[in-house]
Amino acid sequence: MKSSLFLASLSMAAVLGAGPAHAETRIAAIFDLTGGLNIYGIQQNNALNLAVESINAAGGVLGAPIKVVTYDAQSELSKYTQYANTVVLRDRVDVLFAGLTSSSREAIRPIARKANIPYFYSSLYEGGACDKQTFVTGASASQQLSVLIDWAVKKYGKKIYVMAPDYNFGTISARWIEHYARQSGAEVVGQDFLALTVTDYAPTIQKIQAARPDFVVALPVGANQTGFLEQFAAAGLKKTIGLVSTNYGSGNQQIVLSPDAGKGLIGNAEYFMAVDTPANAAFIKQWAAKYGNDTPVISAAVDVWNAVHLWANAVNKAGTAKTGPVIAALESGATFDAPNGPVKLEAGSHDLRQNIYIAEGDDKHGFKIVQVSKDVAPAYENEKCDLVAHPALAAHFSPDKQ
Amino acid sequence: MTLSERTYTSAGWLFPAVATAAALAAATVVDPYLAYVATSWLIFGLLGLSLDIVWGRGGFLSLGQTAFYGLGGYVGGVVAINVAALGSLPLLWSLPAGALCGAIAAFALGAVIFLARMGPLQSTILSYTSTLLLWSVSQSFALTAGAATIGGDNGMSNIPGYAIWSRDPAETLGPAGVFAVVTIICAAVYFITRWLMTGTFGKVVDCIRIDIQKAELLGYDVRKYQIASFAYAGAVAGLAGAMFGAWSNYLNPSIFSVQEALLVPIYVLVGGLGTLAGAFVGAVAIGGLSFWLGGGAVGGQTTLVLGVVLVVLVLFLRNGILGTIGGIWAQRLPGRDAAAKEAGAVSIDTDVLERLLEDAARQFGPAKPLVTRDTFKRFGGVVSVNKVSRTFAPGQPFSLIGPNGAGKSSYLKTCIGIYPPDAGCISIGGADVSRAPIFARVRNGLGVKNQKPQVFGELSVFDNLWVAAFARTRRREAADRIADQILTMLGLQHQSGAAAATLSHGQQQWLDIGMVLCLAPRVVLLDEPAAGMTNAETRELSSLVRTLARHMTAVVVEHDMEFIRTLNGHVTVLHQGAVFAEGDIDALRQNDQVLDIYLGRRRHV
Amino acid sequence: MEPDYLATVLLSSVSSASILLIATIGLAVVFGLMGVINLAHGEFLMIGAYAALTATQRGLPFALAIPVAVVITMLIGACVEVLIIRRLYGRLFDTMLATWGLSMIFYQLAVLIFGTVTPGIGMPQFGITIGRYSLAGYPLLMIAVAALMLAFVYGLLTRTVYGMKARAAIQQPEIAQAIGIESARVNTMTFAIGCGLAGFAGAVLLPIVPATPAMGFAFVVKAFLAVVVAGPVALTGSALTAIGLGGGASLTASFLTSVAGDAVFFVATAALLWLFPLGISASWRRRM
Repeated sequence: MKSSLFLASLSMAAVLGAGPAHAETRIAAIFDLTGGLNIYGIQQNNALNLAVESINAAGGVLGAPIKVVTYDAQSELSKYTQYANTVVLRDRVDVLFAGLTSSSREAIRPIARKANIPYFYSSLYEGGACDKQTFVTGASASQQLSVLIDWAVKKYGKKIYVMAPDYNFGTISARWIEHYARQSGAEVVGQDFLALTVTDYAPTIQKIQAARPDFVVALPVGANQTGFLEQFAAAGLKKTIGLVSTNYGSGNQQIVLSPDAGKGLIGNAEYFMAVDTPANAAFIKQWAAKYGNDTPVISAAVDVWNAVHLWANAVNKAGTAKTGPVIAALESGATFDAPNGPVKLEAGSHDLRQNIYIAEGDDKHGFKIVQVSKDVAPAYENEKCDLVAHPALAAHFSPDKQ
Repeated sequence: MTLSERTYTSAGWLFPAVATAAALAAATVVDPYLAYVATSWLIFGLLGLSLDIVWGRGGFLSLGQTAFYGLGGYVGGVVAINVAALGSLPLLWSLPAGALCGAIAAFALGAVIFLARMGPLQSTILSYTSTLLLWSVSQSFALTAGAATIGGDNGMSNIPGYAIWSRDPAETLGPAGVFAVVTIICAAVYFITRWLMTGTFGKVVDCIRIDIQKAELLGYDVRKYQIASFAYAGAVAGLAGAMFGAWSNYLNPSIFSVQEALLVPIYVLVGGLGTLAGAFVGAVAIGGLSFWLGGGAVGGQTTLVLGVVLVVLVLFLRNGILGTIGGIWAQRLPGRDAAAKEAGAVSIDTDVLERLLEDAARQFGPAKPLVTRDTFKRFGGVVSVNKVSRTFAPGQPFSLIGPNGAGKSSYLKTCIGIYPPDAGCISIGGADVSRAPIFARVRNGLGVKNQKPQVFGELSVFDNLWVAAFARTRRREAADRIADQILTMLGLQHQSGAAAATLSHGQQQWLDIGMVLCLAPRVVLLDEPAAGMTNAETRELSSLVRTLARHMTAVVVEHDMEFIRTLNGHVTVLHQGAVFAEGDIDALRQNDQVLDIYLGRRRHV
Repeated sequence: MEPDYLATVLLSSVSSASILLIATIGLAVVFGLMGVINLAHGEFLMIGAYAALTATQRGLPFALAIPVAVVITMLIGACVEVLIIRRLYGRLFDTMLATWGLSMIFYQLAVLIFGTVTPGIGMPQFGITIGRYSLAGYPLLMIAVAALMLAFVYGLLTRTVYGMKARAAIQQPEIAQAIGIESARVNTMTFAIGCGLAGFAGAVLLPIVPATPAMGFAFVVKAFLAVVVAGPVALTGSALTAIGLGGGASLTASFLTSVAGDAVFFVATAALLWLFPLGISASWRRRM
């Protein structure tokens, strides 16, 4: 019984598994099209398809159109491992665009390294990912917080409270907040780390009031944690205490939040839809034509758009899609006129030097930009990770606990 | 035996062996990508097997198998990374480490669940909670252990893959090689498990699933068996986790997630609950389905499909693939249960019985008195057993009578250990057993026959007796001999291989009594043994009880006054939980007060 | 410790516990009267939230959207009972697995129908101030809502014909059958009411917990534990465990960390199960 079933699925899979030899350039997209993370995944995938469409319309790479293979990771980490191996073993793609969460990136990195194909990770992240094949187009925590804390200390005052999710992104961000607070002469007066399943924010609200901060850095993850922002506003804290965040808005939380609660909250990211550049106007026009304009475009989508273009430019520059020359081309100061302003790939850290925007929530589920910091370097990544000098480096750096 | 019958009885060995050989042969030709994916199906099958041991055989739906799996994976990974850094073969250390870790974790959780004797719902939810707890703890759990780094939600990278020849961690096997290695390990674990679960240990585990109280009444410390099989299943899950880590080279808290936990019972149900091999069939079937559905972005509704599959399975295909096939096959075989219908009335061979009882007395010493002193038990405001002091000794049968609600059953259950007494003490042969669990009293010489026949319906008549005999002797040959003797005494030789459930009600009562006799008890308690018996059977029973009473202490609770009269022994009347009157039956029949309470007349009610 | 801080902490802990109780009552009713654990309870909560949300988006005031949510979840609950639960009576594990499968189906359907981001309705912006501390008002209102819900269910079971039948059916099933109580219909009604209570919870908590496909998950784990620890006398037992465990966790979270609060909840649960392997109410004499 076991054998017959096994053989049946074997033949079935053999049909599916017959990989043709290919000449054209193939890229793989693995994003969460279903499951809890598809808030991000669908837009990332849309951005990839849009980018490929526009590149192909302009003649493709190496004179031929790009072909995309797409997999749905279903918001499950094991699927990332599985499909990353699928695209390597079966589809034999030239480059991989995949992942949202840090854990998905960590799952994919070793596979891309082993297969030696470039891998682009496009999301805001805790920072410090470092290896030869991996390129990051989202902003790192230090990149964002260096700008945000400085701005917020000037605007609100020197006492900071941190509300963060209890996992890497939150704990590492909290260390950066302490670091930049010290630099600005400010002080972290309290911290609360919340498990992802917490829905009871009353204790946090009390602790914030007890600590009497000038502003709160809140890093709520997932829609459940937007409940914190509602309670923060309903308890009347918004009147006296500022609230800033590096990830509020990254998953369109401003839509979920009521206008009353959302007005005046400060978000900070490498991209907001409200960014006023010609490149962004063109990008949004193209996006709206294809996907409509019901939902605001999120930063992770623009990160993917930038990643595909950076890669395509590098392939055309190298004259081949082979990994070695493409990485060399990417490391030779690749730049792109992105919707969020010009971006430049740092040769050593494989992270992006880009603009960081601070935006304030309005009462119509939207944002208005209040400050643009141009050309912010991923300073920490540049300091720790020099892949030009040490190409064999494969690590994940995080700041020490202070 | 026909070929079909022989194949059927050895199907559990034969087909898996064929499948293993086929898989190994396929490994040499198959597409590397498929080999890679199929490897994970086998690992999931192994995880499913661990649940089938606990649930299909043990009867406890554990939603904590992924917890042991994940722990095994993490510990295996840490060990593998460090061993590889020392230049040794990682698999050799990581797999046993994973299995050991799974076993320890399962042992700890099992000890809490089984020693506390939690209800089924409580146990299941607690196992589910421990998985979820690990999930949330592991999100922020960061640790550097030697060369290995566990990075909270970012998980643990760079777990060495399958290398069995070379000590160079870079030189791992290709997908086909990994598939072959995993196939061999899975097959080995399956055959070991099969051997374990068809042997003595497995039989007792089956008995516990079917009727946990009866298993304990035979003197088995059921908790030890439950914990042991749970720990073994934990080891299997931990091993699977370590294998998974080596396969994916990466682990992360999502291994403890709800989705992962959900898949395990699905594998088992699809394949066939309790079949052991079914877990692999289910994992391969679901893996194939998921592969096909989730293989592209188009059909990515795996969650939806799996949800529907689970509902449909539970509603319509309870037996799964292997169970359904096995059922259809078994129907086409000549019935081994046919003999049960031909069985005539049981007649006790008194000579055999006397010999058995004398043997038992020689071996286990003389009959023991059962003494209760001021035994007291209350439920809420109701006093069920009110300071009953009695001494039951061998020589003549003792009967307990009383109107409904007099406390006979509660008193008996307090003696057995089903209810712990609130005050007073109970001793068997001078040993105080007031606080002892049921099995300890049984080992002290207590034998109990409850009102309803308690037989293990799925086991054969012979196995029922054998399990009882083994409980006492702990030796197979001795158990064989005793079970044979009792079988002969009952005159059920022809029904030896029939499932106990196919016997008539009366025959099941006798079989149950036979099981009690297999224990060679020094004190025997019979709760309404004559209920549902024909007149002829009742006469036979009466003679049996009188014979027993000559060799051991015998206490009978009965409503049937005629039966009690034939016993010709000492009678105690209970009323409102207390001793009301005693004497021989004829004297009590003349006692007005006894008649009053039976008839509900006012004076003593 | 300042007295005003202590007062706000106590008040918000009671409110947190009440929120847990609101999410738990439906589960407790179904478990207490039918012996069934509905693992899709969280998804009924989610359905209630989306129903109320959709109704308000269509222009209905929030107060009227709540009954809409209750009716919709009751109807779905009744269908589920007739199509699935009824066929699995007496099979505890199978019922759990089937409702587990159902929860995944509902979850994925919600993703397909509503997408992943839907505007919330926001929390009514009023609060109270105690000394130097202020609290959001709406969560405090939940204390009253929980009390009303308990009173309603208690009244339903003791003062209505349905309630008498339902209680008769669990206390004396044979006699109930004999005097013509159709247990199947009573059970359908019970399950529908349990789901309706979940729907009510989802709707009334909508301002606190925005509607997302996964929102049920945040509540159900604790709700399951509260019911299971409560044991056979589900309603009274669950009220006690939800208030005790939920309040304890919230208090701990206020003085230590949220993670410590969760840990206290789980450890207390395990300890209670160790002491009362069949639930705290296993030896109580009352039946509700």
